[in-house]
Order: sequence, then structure tokens, then C-alpha cells
Amino acid sequence: MTDDTPVVALGALEAQALEAIASAEDRDALEHVRVDFLGRSEGRISAVLRGLGQLPPEDRPKVGQEANRVKGVVAAALEARSSELAGGSEAPAVDLTLPARRRWKGGLHPITQAVNDIWHIFRDLGFTRARGPEADTEWYNFEALNTPLDHPAADEQDTLYLVDSVLLRSHTSPVQMRTMEKHDPPIRIIAPGWVYRRDTYDATHTPAFMQIEGLVIDEDVTFVDFKATLGEFARRYWGPDTQVRFRPSFFPFTEPSAEVDVKRVITRPDGTRVETDWLEIMGAGMVDPNVIENAGYDAEKYTGWAFGMGPARIAMLKHGVDDLRTFFDNDVRFLAQFAS
Amino acid sequence: MNVSTRWLKDMVPGLSGSPKELAEHLALRGAPVEEITSPGEALGDIVVGKVVTAGQHPNADRLSLCEVDGGDGVVQVVCGAPNVKAGSFYPFAPVGSVLPGDFKIKKAKIRGEVSQGMLCSSKELGLGTDHEGILEIHGDFTPGQSFVDALGLGDATLDVEITANRGDLLSHAGVARELASEGDGRVVFPDFPDAIELAPEYVVDAKEAVAGEVSIRIDDPDLCSRYLGAVIRGVAIGPSPAWLQERLRGAGSRPINNVVDATNYVMLEMGQPLHAFDLDQLAGSSIVVRRAGKDESKFTTLDDEDRTLTDDMLMICDAGGPVAIAGVMGGQNSEVEEATRDVLLECAHFDPKSIRSTRKALGMSTDASYRFERGVDPEGMQIALERCAALIIATAGGELDGPVLDCSPHPFEAQVVDLRLSRVHRLLGIPFDARYVTRLLEPLGFTVGGETDGVLHVRVPGYRSYDVTREVDLIEEVARTHGYDAFPSDLRPSRPGTVPDHPLFQLEDRIRAALVGQGLFETQTPAFAPANEGDVEVANPLATTEPVMRVALLPSLVRRLEYNLARGNRDVRLFEIGTSFSRTASGCPPHEETHLAAIVTGRRTPPHWSVADEALSIWDLKGLFAEMLETAYHGGARLLPGSEVPASTSEPVRGLASRLDPDRSLVAVSDDGSVIGWGGRMADGAVDTPPWAGDVFTFELRLPDEPRPAPVATYDPLPHYPAVERDLALVVPDALPVGDVDDVVRTTAGRELEALEIFDVYTGEGVPEGTRSVAVRLRFRSAKGTLKDKAVDRSVGKVLQRLEEELGVKARG
Repeated sequence: MTDDTPVVALGALEAQALEAIASAEDRDALEHVRVDFLGRSEGRISAVLRGLGQLPPEDRPKVGQEANRVKGVVAAALEARSSELAGGSEAPAVDLTLPARRRWKGGLHPITQAVNDIWHIFRDLGFTRARGPEADTEWYNFEALNTPLDHPAADEQDTLYLVDSVLLRSHTSPVQMRTMEKHDPPIRIIAPGWVYRRDTYDATHTPAFMQIEGLVIDEDVTFVDFKATLGEFARRYWGPDTQVRFRPSFFPFTEPSAEVDVKRVITRPDGTRVETDWLEIMGAGMVDPNVIENAGYDAEKYTGWAFGMGPARIAMLKHGVDDLRTFFDNDVRFLAQFAS
Repeated sequence: MNVSTRWLKDMVPGLSGSPKELAEHLALRGAPVEEITSPGEALGDIVVGKVVTAGQHPNADRLSLCEVDGGDGVVQVVCGAPNVKAGSFYPFAPVGSVLPGDFKIKKAKIRGEVSQGMLCSSKELGLGTDHEGILEIHGDFTPGQSFVDALGLGDATLDVEITANRGDLLSHAGVARELASEGDGRVVFPDFPDAIELAPEYVVDAKEAVAGEVSIRIDDPDLCSRYLGAVIRGVAIGPSPAWLQERLRGAGSRPINNVVDATNYVMLEMGQPLHAFDLDQLAGSSIVVRRAGKDESKFTTLDDEDRTLTDDMLMICDAGGPVAIAGVMGGQNSEVEEATRDVLLECAHFDPKSIRSTRKALGMSTDASYRFERGVDPEGMQIALERCAALIIATAGGELDGPVLDCSPHPFEAQVVDLRLSRVHRLLGIPFDARYVTRLLEPLGFTVGGETDGVLHVRVPGYRSYDVTREVDLIEEVARTHGYDAFPSDLRPSRPGTVPDHPLFQLEDRIRAALVGQGLFETQTPAFAPANEGDVEVANPLATTEPVMRVALLPSLVRRLEYNLARGNRDVRLFEIGTSFSRTASGCPPHEETHLAAIVTGRRTPPHWSVADEALSIWDLKGLFAEMLETAYHGGARLLPGSEVPASTSEPVRGLASRLDPDRSLVAVSDDGSVIGWGGRMADGAVDTPPWAGDVFTFELRLPDEPRPAPVATYDPLPHYPAVERDLALVVPDALPVGDVDDVVRTTAGRELEALEIFDVYTGEGVPEGTRSVAVRLRFRSAKGTLKDKAVDRSVGKVLQRLEEELGVKARG
């Protein structure tokens, strides 16, 4: 055992390492060299450092310093050779004009998008969402809504029946009564959902379609609030320049009743702005006191307003779809046009 | 309702404005106009032509050679119509005139004969579809006079949409009242030309009114509250005068004869249907209003249709039996015909509900039943009867014989409805004063009888007695006549509601966002399905091919997939959220669940030049399925191989599950043991796919009715100490689920096992037949300190021992 042995051995290791580094022709080979000399468990220089504990205490600082120096030199040489190999290999620069690698794009159905857009506006106006069954009784679909079955108004929607007095709801209005039965005022909800009518398929009719109901009930809710809130909705949906018109109409469950029309301003590609015709967007009105009474509320104390609108029709207008049936074909090339 | 603008202007003095402007006013009153037609507009060049002579064309069998007087001298015209005859009048288009469709008439030579103009059919004039012959017009005309004037075609007709509550608008008087404020504020009933003043006497009786040999009796006073009858003797049936025909045409009604036209005129004017019986055909000259008898089930209406009566239908009878279906249609047996001399004119009031159920049972609707169903003015009956009688006498001659019979078991009493101005303010949001409210209501026929302490006592006219019965009905009238657009539109403060946003909508939102992020497209499909795809039948289905409501969404999605594949769309990834219907107790609404279904086929990712295409596999499906299960149930359910479907699964669901490849199917089972979903690879042949299409994967999952919120995350301190990893290669028999191995490892490895990853499954060289080599990486970590190799080795040893003992699984040697 001589004092110099570990130090001499370290010198030899340094020389071997530097030579091996210089002759490494690629990164893999260089990695092998790194593992051989500096690898944590098997590396030869590392082994010297690990073996320090076995040396006499007086030799440890000297050998330790030398080992650390060699380790530093070898590491630097590895680094230098590594960048030399990277630069020196003259690998062609990556051609970033090649197409990217993407994931599949999916999308919401355009009618769902319309429902969501409408929902988000009403959410901002303080509404929540309620739901009810699609198959319901005559009571909820007609009678509770102040529509006696022997009144001509019950004919206006040709209803699909399941069994006696059980039907597929012909509008989302049954949710009004179902919500009021479960909750106390104030009520401030919308209720999107499927409704069913005995209409044959054509460009503007399908026997099943989406509707969005709205209902507000509280003390001191007035016709002015009704007009203001729906006007606010229309301007948020179609733009601040949108004109809104309320026309008298008739629904058994609202009084006064109204049809709501909008006139949009659209900007043509050449920059000119034109007004559209009046477009009918919803039926609405102040909730009939009989409906409020049927819900078990005091109609003297509580008033309210309600509306029903068809998001499919609104989606048609928005996207220029000219045939409702296209929405139900669900051709992925069609659906992809609305993916955002 | 077809409304003549000329008629309207006669009834509303001072009313001006184009048809389009009138339509706009009506729309803002709640009666939108769907269409404006003015048939005469394009016919300005057409004149009345008189055929002076009509002879055979010398060179053509089917053509006639006519001499036509078109007012500008007699010209020769070649005519191809079979009905041309000398002495008759026809619409004539002279040379130089233009027909609808920009068809210019020129001088022509037809088979060698000169033709200077054209005799026209109604189709050529755009007045109808009849092309069989030229349009012969009857009456006293001067050749060359304007055809439009001769037939009164200068009118514009508004097709007004009348809502179900406003029976009063099914008349020109009703529409006129809505427009009165656009004119002088009045509605007048114009005098008829040549009419004499009638001031008949009335014989009034609550049960039976009798005058001479004629009698009227009401046996069912609940269904007929009043029946007026007037006898007119000595009429001569013939065409109506031109002005009357013009009026009727302008209102979309076809002239028939003077008596019938008079009843139609008054109906269109006042909304009161009237009926004229041939008095000679009424047995016993008597009218009995009663329900059909048991033995009176057969009846022929005047449209020659045989009707089957039931004993709840109200009939107008004579001494022998039914002569009309009350309020719906007269009978053939008492119809006014050319030979009729004496008529009994009926003006009655029937119960709307009875008329409605009768006409529905008979599957018919007439102008009369349509009005009775919606309510006819009970206060206008006398005026209507007298106007109609006067018009008949003016146009068909004859005279009123004896008093008017008035059988009146329930005379009408007008209602007075109280209107609180405070309530008007409270509902409409702005204050109204008594004077202004009175000014709004009175032009519509309401009478404000006075005010006490802010309450107006409003008398409702008969024609509004159906839809105005409550205070709120009057408030609507106030709002409507004030004008909806005149109300302010300022947003006022509002309170939030008590209804929470429904958690199922929120779950649907999360599912949609997640699946769209995974590259799926959402579909929407109607819930109707073929008979084998559900057990909830629609009683009156639209299509016999789709008579039930679907129990599952999957078959609809399969059809959408097939639709896409048939159009060459290779990469199809669809999902839908919809309702599942299933039968419950009979007579009850069906059970409804909200389902999520997805179907995918094609490549895993869009093609890219750097990698080879890879097809979607069962593992992709299992991933989607598991992720959605987690999103919907937060660990309250798990996926099992499909072979473990519990026997309790319902029939329809079993039927659907059978469309899956049994070796590649999964079921989702909730913690309570019920099957809430199924999925896997569609069995070969279960989808109609083109040869190039790949495997199709699908799943369907029931969503919870009231989803629970996701559990709140609790903070787990990040580790301070390093982890130790151990890789094991286990030899697992093919028959043993790796899931079982996983379970044993997790339960045996101790608390320090942080993660278990299966990173390779290998069969082949070096692995015994019938087994797989499953490579498992275990990661151990302690929160208390760096783990010692020995401790980890002990845990691994325990795992290996237990694997061998329990499952016979050994590490690879």
C-alpha cells in the first residue's frame, strides 16, 4: 500500500476517460463512456470517491480533492464532446412547415350550442335551470296551465299520447307547474328540454324538438320587467343594435300574452349594415293568475312572466341552416362545421 | 279568416291606409296577417269580351273561330276551349295586353286563320286551376269594360290569423272594431242596396215559440240557449247581385245563390252563422232542438256525405227527425234549392263545447262550427237575423211572414267585471287613470259603468263574453290597446330564485365538455324508435315504423353511424345525451332515465406523416367508459367484464347488450349492484358497415337522476423522501384476470405501496404455453423517511408469496 496509489490511479483514469471521450463517435457511445466513468453505482471514478472511507484518514482530503478534480475534468470533456457531436453531425434543421400532429376535434351539436348560449345569458341575468319529465299527464301539459281540454286552444298543438291522459309533453311549460310545486317564490328559472308534437318531418317541422321555457315569479314582477328582461336577452344574444317588438297574442297560460319579434342589424361582407325583417323568436307573457293559483301560490301577492322559445329555429337563423332535418342527420361533416 | 279590405273600409268610416298598413296595425293588435292577396292586380289589361259568333275553324277540328266584341270593335279570335258559345261573356285579352307571368298577347295566325286576342281560362288569369275551358262570366256586362271591375276583383284580401280566444274576430265587424281607432273611432253596418226597413214582431217563449202553423221548441236548453226563426215566403232563388258576389269573393267565399249568399254575408259580417231551411221540407213546419235519437244514427249532410250520429249530438229536427246537425251543417233533406219558395231562417246560439265535441266526433269542421266553438255574439242575434232577412228579401224577393219566433230558455245576461286601477298598475308596472282606461276600452265595445274608489265597473259586450270574464282579461285589453311597445323597458332590481341549478344539467355540461375534448361529436336524435327498441308505445304514432319511445340511445347512434359510414365518413366518433323510456304500471307515465351513449370507429388520432395510423381499440373504449363512469358516479360504480352481467338486467337492455361481442364487452355496475351501463365492441354484423370500416366500439351509461357533487379534495402533503421502485415479471395463466392479481398485490404490499403500474403484457418465447408474462412496476414510498432496501424487499417477498399461495402466480425465473 503506497500513499500515491489512489492518486496515480486517478491520473490514469483521467487519461483513459479523455481518450474514450475523444474517440466516441456518437451520443450513444458518449453515454457509455459517461456510465463507465461517472455512473453512480458502477462508474470507475465514482468508485474511487465511494472508497474514500476505507483510506487512512490522513490520505482522504488529498485523494478526495484529486478525485473531484478528475470528475470535473471528465464531466466538462463529456459536455464539450456532446455539443461537438450535436453541432458536428450537421443534422438537417427541423422543417417546421410540415403539418402539426393534432388530436381529433369534437364538437357540441349546434342546437346544444344555441341552448348553451341562451342559458349563459339567462344565467348572467340570475336564472337557474330546472327540468321535468318528457312524458307527462294532461293535467301538467294542459289543465294546470289554464288550458281546458275542450277548448280549441288545446287543438293548436297536435299532441302525441301514450295512454289515456298520459302524453308526450307538447311544450316545456309543464316544468312551470312542476317547479312551482316543489319550490317557493321567488322563482327564476329556464327549462330546456325535448318536446313532442304530431308534426310530420319537413324543412321547418320535426315531431320532436328542443324548447326552452322561462319562468319568473315574485312579488311585484310587472309587464315592464318582462319586456325589459327579454329585451336585454335579445340584445345580448343578437347584438346591442337589435330591435325588439312585443305583439299581443294568445296563450292560455299567460295574460297579457305576447309574441316577441327581433329585427337584427347585420353587417354585409362589404361593410354595409342592413336590417333584417322582423323575426318571431318566442311566445311569452305574464303568467295567468289561474296558473299561479294552481301552483298553490297567492295570485294577489305573486305575479310573474314566462316564455317559450325554440333553440333549433334560433340556430337555423344564426348559422343559415335551411332544413331542420339536417340537424338530426348528424353527418360528422355537418357537425364539424360548428366545432369551435 | 279572410278579410276584405274594401269591406273593412265600408265598416270603419275614415279608415285609410294600404292593405300592408292595415296588416301592420292588426299585427300590433294581436291578429297578424299571414298573406295579402289581390287577384285583380295583374289583370288590368283584361276586358269583358262578348262572343258574337262561334263557328268551326276550317282547318282544325278542335278549334273554334269566333267573332269577339272586346269593346274596340269586333275581332276574329281562334279559341281552343270546348265551352265557347255565342252570346256569352268571357275575360278577353286583346292584342297588346299582358297576362300574369308576363305573357304578352300578339296578333297571330293559327292554322291559317288570324287571331286577334285571347279568351282566357281562370288558370291563365291566375284565379284558379281550372284549365278545362275558358271562364264564362254571368251577368249583365258591357263588352270592353274592365274585367277586374266587372267581377269586383279590385279588392285585397287579408288572411288574418285569429287566436283561439278571439272568436269575435272571425267577422269583419270584429276586425273593424280593432281598427276603429285608425279611422273615426266608429264601426257601422252599411245599408244594403234596395233593402226595405224591417221591424218584425217577436214571439218570445222559454220553451216553445209558436206563430200560426210554425213552431220552434228547444228540448235541450243547456246546449241551445236561444233559437230565433223567421219565415220568408215567396223567394226566387237565383244568383246574387254583383256587389254581393264581389263582397263574398273579397272575403274568400264562393257565391252560391241569393239566399245562401245572404246567410254567408251576415256570418262574415257579424260572425253569426245562419241557416236557411226550405220550409216546405220541414215536416209539421216545426223545429225541435234536441239530441239525436237512438234510431237516428244515419244522416246525410248537404255536402252529400253520410254521417253517423250518436245520441249526445245536438240536432235540429222537424216533426219527423233531424234536418241539420246543430251549428255544424244542414241536412240534404231540407236544403234550399232552385225550386224553394219559402224559407225558415235560423239564427241560434249553441254551447261551444257541444259543437266542438260533435264536429270532432264527426271529423269535420265548417265555417259555422269553427265560429260556434270559439263563441258567437249572443247579443247580436236579433240584428243578424234581421239583416239577413232584409238581405234575402232585397236579393231574392219575398216577404217576412208573421212574427219572428224567439225560443229563449236562457236569455243572455251581460257580465260586469270590476277592474282595480291599483291592480292594473301592479301587473303592468305603470299607472293608468280611469279616464284613459275608459278611452282604451270603450272603442272595443266595453262600457265603463262608473268608478268607486279606484275600481271601474266594466260591462263586457256579448262578443267578448267568452274571453273577458276576469279582471286580468281586462288588464290585457288595457295593455294591448295602450300598445305593448308604449311600455317602458327598464331593467329593475330582481331577487335570485330559490331553485338550485339542476345538478343533472351540470353533469351533462361536464360530460359534454369532456367528450368534445376527447374528439367526439354530439348528436341529437328524436326518441321515436322501431317496435323492438322499447316497450312504451305511442297511442297515435306518426309513423308505423317508429311506434315506441326508445329504451336506449344506442340503436339511434348505430343508425347515425351507419348513415355516416354510408357517406364515406371513416372516422366517426359520436355521443348523445337523451331520455330512455320504459314501461311502469299501466295507465301511469313511463319511467324516464337520462342516458349517455357513445359510438366510435376509425383511427385513434388524425393521420400524421410521422407515425403509422393506429385504429381505435377496446382499450380506448374502456378508457372513455371508465372516465364517464367516474365523472357521473365518483367511484360509486365500477366496470366489469361483460360475462358478469347480473341476471337482474331488464329485457330491452339485455337485447341491446347482445349486440356486443361477448369477449369484448363491459358492464358498469353501481355499488348497489344494479347494471347502469354496458359497452364494448359491436359484434360482427351488428352494424351495417362497408368492407373498409374498422371495429365499432360503443357504450351506454345511465346518468344519476340527482347527481352528487364530486367529493371535495383533501390536501395530501407532498412527499419529502425518495421512492423506491421494483419491477416484477409475473407469469399469469390466461384464465386468470389480471384484475385479480392487481387486487392481491394492492392488499398485500402494505401502506407504503404508492403506485402500481402494469407496463407490459407479453406472450411468446420464454413464457409457458397458456400463460402471460405481466410486467408490474411497484412504487413504494414512506412519509416518515427514506425506505430501506430490506424493508421493500420484505414487502415484495410477501406479495410474491401471497400471489403464489392464492393465485398460483409466480415471478418469471
